This record gives sequence, structure tokens and C-alpha cells, in this order.
Amino acid sequence: MHSIAIQIENLRVKFPDKQSFLFKDLSLTIQKGEKVLIVGPSGSGKSTLLKILAKIIPKIVEVPCKYDNAILPVQPGYVFQNPDHQFCMPYVDEEMAFVLENQLIHRDKMKLLIREYLDLVGLTLPSNHTLIDHLSGGMKQRLAIASVLALQPDVLFLDEPTAMLDQEGTNQVWDTVWNISQNKTLIVVEHKIDRVIDYVDRMIMIDDCGNIIADGNPHTLLRHKKSLFQQYGIWYPNIWNDHPIRIDTQPMKSVMEINHASGYYQKTKAIRIEHAQVNEGDFITISGHNGAGKSTLLQMLAKLIKYEGRLHLPFLKDKRDFYKYVGYVFQNPELQFVANNVYEELEFSISHINNHKERMNRIEEHLAIYELGNWKEAHPYQLSIGQMKRLSVATATIRKPKILLLDEPTFGQDAYYTFTMLDYLKQLQNEATTIIMVTHDYHITTHYANKIWYVQNGVLTDIVENGIEDANWRTIKNAHRIL
Amino acid sequence: MHIEFYKNPTWLHYVNPTLKFILFVFLFIFFLFIHHLHFLIYFTVLLTLIYYIQLGYPIKLLFLLSLPMVIIFFTSFVSMALFGKGETTLFQFAFVHITEEGLYRGIHLGFRSVIFGLLGMIFALTTKPVYFFYSLMQQLSLPPKIAYSFMAAIRLLPNIIQEFLSLRKALKVRGVIFKRSIPGFYQQIKHYAIPILALSIRRAYHISVAMEAKHFTNNRNRTYYYILKYSKRDVYFVFLTIVLLFAAYTLQRFYPFLPIDRIVA
Repeated sequence: MHSIAIQIENLRVKFPDKQSFLFKDLSLTIQKGEKVLIVGPSGSGKSTLLKILAKIIPKIVEVPCKYDNAILPVQPGYVFQNPDHQFCMPYVDEEMAFVLENQLIHRDKMKLLIREYLDLVGLTLPSNHTLIDHLSGGMKQRLAIASVLALQPDVLFLDEPTAMLDQEGTNQVWDTVWNISQNKTLIVVEHKIDRVIDYVDRMIMIDDCGNIIADGNPHTLLRHKKSLFQQYGIWYPNIWNDHPIRIDTQPMKSVMEINHASGYYQKTKAIRIEHAQVNEGDFITISGHNGAGKSTLLQMLAKLIKYEGRLHLPFLKDKRDFYKYVGYVFQNPELQFVANNVYEELEFSISHINNHKERMNRIEEHLAIYELGNWKEAHPYQLSIGQMKRLSVATATIRKPKILLLDEPTFGQDAYYTFTMLDYLKQLQNEATTIIMVTHDYHITTHYANKIWYVQNGVLTDIVENGIEDANWRTIKNAHRIL
Repeated sequence: MHIEFYKNPTWLHYVNPTLKFILFVFLFIFFLFIHHLHFLIYFTVLLTLIYYIQLGYPIKLLFLLSLPMVIIFFTSFVSMALFGKGETTLFQFAFVHITEEGLYRGIHLGFRSVIFGLLGMIFALTTKPVYFFYSLMQQLSLPPKIAYSFMAAIRLLPNIIQEFLSLRKALKVRGVIFKRSIPGFYQQIKHYAIPILALSIRRAYHISVAMEAKHFTNNRNRTYYYILKYSKRDVYFVFLTIVLLFAAYTLQRFYPFLPIDRIVA
């Protein structure tokens, strides 16, 4: 016997500054105890839909919307995407207490309840009075889940809870979610569905006009409607099998030589490279465990941190021109912008080109590649996270640097944009740009990289040629796969 | 990154924050009307003793934190001493006109600033913001909306430092070079301030949505995780304040060492 957890009919949503409706006459019913996954291309309004079902819109965030015959949860629990944007107190126990206080739970019961909920999400800390800032991303999201559980929600909403997390954190979060969600109604929005698909009973696919185009058992959908996934660029398991391996090895012309180099992070040695050579047109991925020093290594190559030792670029005549030839893309795109709109942002990167026409052409070309043409006039901060990330990569690639350093460039992108970006990087590589990338995605390594740098405890321990299947390669491959 | 140097809390840390706050506001106002040099000097000395002995922090750190106060003392002292009006000229050269009256007015202002600085430091170093706002909600029934806004804002402060450091790297990578001129300085401020402000506003907005999603309301009948009450220590604290004031009064009465005492404003 099922009863209805959520029902909404004829939902209409329109943002004031947009021409078309985000949703037009969408209807949806979800039974109690159902576990539902909502997928769709970037910008299809999945998050907005989730917020409407959770009553965040229009109760907390005002967006004009209209619907009929709605049954919405009495006590919705909502976990947000960004682990740093959902806590208001400095300590773990205080944050949990904040939720309990909101429900007028008596103080004497708080300590016990806090421990109970933290145990439920597997968050065991030496003391519950621990600074939230000292937790890892995965731990923060589990704390967010714990604090939402303390609301005793009738429906649990998860809005891409692992979008900002590495693989380890992602695994922790999903394990926790499946642990706690038995007998609960659960609605998830997620890009990467590998870790989700075996646990949900129902998958709803929305297209970019806000229509439901598929609804049903996830495995059935995958079997019979795979073309929809491909058409809308949505991740599905084994997507990489449908993608060609494109490894090229380039002629040996050195563009960077590193000898006995150590990089420092706040006066402590954080990364060490004995010998490494980078050739023109290399596609290198840097892999290693969390906190092994991958990002630090990349920052040292970009001379963004203090280092000693030899870091030599043979082609560079004048040291002041370093950043003309070396491009860098940060993991957090928000911090890479200097101009007031997307167009100017790209123009800034190529302000050294005097020919106005060439500048325009290059900007238009890049707006097209990264599909930002409709956003030319928008301020970079008005873009979605995915669009910001694309713009940040564009600001580096538009300069056609000789060496391009990227820190997790495909994070949080849907399949379509991930492949568009990778294929463009591949094209740059063929035009003799050297690409060095930190990535958690094992498949990017196996499909694109001709070399893998493996970092362990702050030391670059192995440099492996891709495709040569020796024992060394297998060890790293295995290590990489579990990451 | 989080700012926390708390090692050995002393009894001052357990004084009710609201009481401490009210008493310090009273002292602030009180010292605005004090024009007796000796009283100010003796009180400063006594307060310095409390500052170094009763806060439970390493002396080195306390000394470092007191450096700004020395600067404040000299700036307020110098501005009054060098250009103050007066009749008894001690020294005159071009604009500089040092008079005896100006000199004493400088000392007066300097010590007053130091007292304000010390009081502020003692409060800040012995009061956890979270306790302070919990106490304000409980003792003065401050609306939870305001209290929690402040607590969330304080939590965000260390992030701004982190963002500033990242931004500096990003600007370097993007090839932004600031000219060493006034327009260049203006550019620099623009390139740092706008992203940091925009990010802070966005983050504040997200957190406020998250707080409401956790069913936060402005309902004043909340339960509290921390209960802050009055205790014996509060009596000691009021007593200490009175003793300090009385001691300063007695000392200035029996041991004056400057020819002038009362400063006429």
C-alpha cells in the first residue's frame, strides 16, 4: 500500500529576466518510500525543481511559480551542493545544536542526539567540539546530512551533494546516504550517476526545455533509451567505453626540465621532484591520493608558490614573459575573473594582440567552442558553476599558451561539456600545446594522457608512459582506479 | 584557517559576556568625562597589569597585540602635543608649536585611547563570540535573527583571508600587472575588492537559505545549547572593577607626580 509523498500538477516557473518558461505544465507524483534520481543537461532546471518540491522556492527564495493540487512534504530536509555554503556555526556540535534549537528540543537531550546523528552518518571525531573548517569536504557533507536528519524529515532532498568532492569524499557520502535512507523518501539530483543508479528505484529525465522526457526504472531506461542520454549529454555508466581512446605521443622536444625541485607551502616542504622532463605536445595527467600534493605540484610548475631547485623552460628567452607562455586554470573558477563581462574577460586574455579583427575572431571562436555565446554580456559571477568553469578554461586556452596547467577542469561538468572540453584540449595538444592536468577521473588518464605522473606523500614517485602495460603501470592504474 | 589562541582560560573567560559588555560600555562612557591626568595614568597601569596577568595568554602574544595601542598612543599624543593651543610655549619652529598645555592634553588623549584599547582587547580576548551572542539572546533577549547573522558572519571572516591569497595568485596568472601609481592603486583595489565582496555576498546568501532550510525562524522561544547565567564570578568582576577605580583614585590622590592634574578641555 503506497501513499503519496509528493504531488504537483501544472507547475509553471518563469524567471523574471528570461523570455521562456523554465517549466511549463509539469506534473509529477512521487510515492512514499520511493528513491528518485532526477537527471538532465546543465541548465535544465533540475535544482530549481528540487527546491520547489522542498518548498525552498517560493518560501525562502522568491521565484514566480504556480502549481495546482500540490502535496508537498511537511518537513523537507535539503542537502546543498557546496559544503562551505551551508553552515552558520564554527563547531560541529554547535551546528548540530543549531538545528535542534530550531525545533525547540530541550537542552538536556541535545548532547545525546548530536552523538546519535553523527554516529548515523559515520562521523566519528575525537571530540564533537571540532572546528568545521578542519573537516574534509566529504566529512562536511556528512555533517550536512546529519544536521538535516536531525530535522526528522519526511522527504530527503540531495542537490548534487558530491559535486564539489573528490572520489573518496563522494564514496563516503553515498555510502552514508544509502545507509540512512532505508524506508525514507529520497530525491536526488546528480550528474555522475554511477554511484547512484543501483540504489534508486526511479529515474526522471528532464530535457533543456523543462519537459519530462523519460521516467521509469533506471536500468530499463539505460537499456532502452540510451540514445537520450547521448543526445542530452548526460553521464551514464560505461560512457567511456563509447568514447575512442585518443593518445598521441609527440616528438621529443623539451619544453620544461625540472631538477631537484622542492615546493613550499607556508615554509614546509610540500612537494619534491627529483627529475622530470616535459616534452612539447605532452598530455600529462597528475594523479595520487587526496592531499598527496597534486595541486601543490601544479602550482609549483606555474611558479605560484615558493620553490627551490631548477625549473627550466628552454624556449623562454625573457623570464618576465613566463605567464605569456604558461596558462593556469584554478580549481575554483570564481577566483579567476578580472573583467566585467564574459566578452571582456576573454578579450583581457589576448590584449597583447594588436589586430582588432583577429582579436574578435578569436573571441567569437572561443565563445562558440565553450558555448558561452548567449552569455557574452553577462557578468562572470552570473554564470552557473559549470559555465564559470568553462569560461575559466577559455581565458587560458584563448591565449594559446605553450604550456597549459589545469586543476580539475572537468569537475562538476555534465558529459557533453566534459567531452567538448577534452576534445578541444586534445586539438590544442595536436597543435603542439603541452597539457598538464590534475584529475581524479581515471578515464581521462586512460583515454587522453600519454604520460601519468603519480604523486605520493608530497613526492613525484613515478612517471609512466600510457599504453605500456608493465607491472609498474598496473600498480598505478589500480591505485588510480580506487581513488 | 581559524583564529583561536585560547589556551588557558582564566576566571575572566567565565564572566557573563553581557555583564562584561555592559560594564565595559559604562567604563567607556565614564572615561570620556575624566579629565584628571593622574587618574588616567594610574588606571592605565592597573589595567595593563590585569591585561598581562589575568588573561591566560602567552606574554609574547599579549605584547604583540598591545603594539597597535602604543602606536595609537603616540599618534594621538603627537597630534595634540605638536599643534595644540596653549600659552606657555616650550618650543617653536615653523608650524610646530609645542606648548605645555598641548603636551599635557596630548598625554591625556593618549592615555584615554590606550584605556579604550585595553578594555576592548580584554573583552575580545576573554569572550567567545558564540557565547557573547548566546548571552545577548538570553540576558537581553536580542532577536535570534540578529544574533545568528553575526555568528555566521564571524565564521566567514577567515575565508576572506583565504580568498585574498587565492585571488593574488589568479591575478598573477592572468598577467595583471598593477602600475605603481595612484590609478594603478585604484585598479588594484578594484580587482581585489569586487570579487571578494561579490563572493562574500553570494556566500552569505547561500548560508541564509541553508539556515532557513534548517527551519531557523526568528522565534524568541528557542531552546539553547549553551545556557549562560550569572555566577559568583560576575560578582568578583564587578568588585574588581570597583577596586580598580578606587585604587586609581587613591593613588592619584596621594602620589601625584606631574605639575598639572586637571585638563581643561
